[in-house]
Amino acid sequence: MKGLLKGLAVTLRTMTRRSVTRQYPEVQPDLPPRSRGVIGLLAENCTSCMLCARECPDWCIYIESHKETLPAAVEGGRERSRNVLDRFAIDFSLCMYCGICIEACPFDALFWSPEFEYAEHRIGSLTHEMDLLGEWMKTVPPPPEIDPGKPG
Amino acid sequence: MSTERTVAIGSGATHLGGEDMVLNIGPQHPATHGVLRLRITLDGEQISEVEPIIGYMHRGAEKLFEVRDYRQIIVLANRHDWLSAFANELGVVLAVERMTGIEPPVRAVWARMLLAELNRVLNHLMFLGSYPIELGAITPIFYAFRERETLQAVMEEVSGGRMHYMFNRVGGLKEDLPLGWLDRVRRAVEDVRKGTRETEKLIRDNEIFHARTRGIGVLSRENAAAYGVSGPIARASGLDFDLRRDEPYLAYDQVDVPVVTRTEGDCFARFECLVDQVYASLDLAAVCADRLAALPAGPINVRTPKILKAPAGHTYAWTENPLGINGYYLVSRGERTPWRMKLRSASFNNVQVIPELMRGALLADMIAILGSMFFVVGDIDK
Repeated sequence: MKGLLKGLAVTLRTMTRRSVTRQYPEVQPDLPPRSRGVIGLLAENCTSCMLCARECPDWCIYIESHKETLPAAVEGGRERSRNVLDRFAIDFSLCMYCGICIEACPFDALFWSPEFEYAEHRIGSLTHEMDLLGEWMKTVPPPPEIDPGKPG
Repeated sequence: MSTERTVAIGSGATHLGGEDMVLNIGPQHPATHGVLRLRITLDGEQISEVEPIIGYMHRGAEKLFEVRDYRQIIVLANRHDWLSAFANELGVVLAVERMTGIEPPVRAVWARMLLAELNRVLNHLMFLGSYPIELGAITPIFYAFRERETLQAVMEEVSGGRMHYMFNRVGGLKEDLPLGWLDRVRRAVEDVRKGTRETEKLIRDNEIFHARTRGIGVLSRENAAAYGVSGPIARASGLDFDLRRDEPYLAYDQVDVPVVTRTEGDCFARFECLVDQVYASLDLAAVCADRLAALPAGPINVRTPKILKAPAGHTYAWTENPLGINGYYLVSRGERTPWRMKLRSASFNNVQVIPELMRGALLADMIAILGSMFFVVGDIDK
């Protein structure tokens, strides 16, 4: 009996305390800036180099681009060609949220955002195209301050 | 302890005997934490034979390792035992670091130890909550999850993930620690210590819990050793073996690692080992946090080549995972992917011994024994 009563005493004590649960849809969770919720794309920085798509462990990034030739800037100069991004999509139904694409990007075009409310009724809608990925950029927080260890 | 009584008067039991009943537990049974199937042969209420049938969750992790580079492997290694993701990553990077001769900076070593211990506590709290549920005590899981939430908050702050941390890299950790994080870790450790004590009070001395677990499913020391059982389950049978003390990796040789053991080998001893291990790990985590705070400024990782190739050869790295010994046998032929990466997972070896424990037990004790083996099906099937 003693053990049972000991357990009931804990229950009784807990009853007098405030609950730790949060009423989620009304109260939003406080997520740290590093939280891996969704990936945002800063399309201006993307050179369509395909590094992210190749490094992705399950190939859930789709990139299409074409080459555009710019006329020479000065008389007798050379024509320049550059890549123009036509499509950048991430299939979040396949994504494993590992962040390798973000690490692999040498041009800082991809960022993590803690935003997580993008559940869909159809699996196909989880493929986020460029415009939506660009929208997520608005939710990207600044990185946290770093603790570099004891100075000296 | 349950006693067996044969009631044969007038029921014709002696004439009806001889027919065994085969009962399938799982693959979709809630007490199997996933898709483990037990094919049980019953003689009345007594279990005469058990055959664990595995593989329903096989994802071919080892084969997938062979076509992934060393950073991508961490993503997969993370997932076979989803309750000890950090410890799994650690095994991979330790193996690759040994092969390539990359030395992680000292701050990374202590941070890895700290995170591994926090991960161990998270894992154990999960089982401390779920095991009583299987025996009919629903309350402890709410307490255990409250504590898990406290720890997950600090884990998420540093790594961005709540389960699949993806924080280890060959040569250190992915990013440096956020400012003030160590203080929050210390506070979380204190809170969890207090909270675990409450969870413990709920169930540890409970007479009903004792009646269900004491003397049930006794695993002998010899059987534990013979079947390669490791971790808290083996230690509950008196097999005093802990890699953190016996073959230290990271900086475990610089700290005092208390090894929790019991000699009874029954379900209750296994549960007790887990509870006491939580406190031991919390103490270790606090020590690591203090050491980290005192360490001079320095990097948390080393720069590694863009295309990382392990030189031809092989190595075996094993770590003390929350559920037991986790080993990675890495064979490289100098490519950017391993030629073979064999995974020795704790749960696989631990469920092998189930027939030894259940043979002769009553069906009513089956769930008590199964639950006390603390396994993760993903870790069995890989």
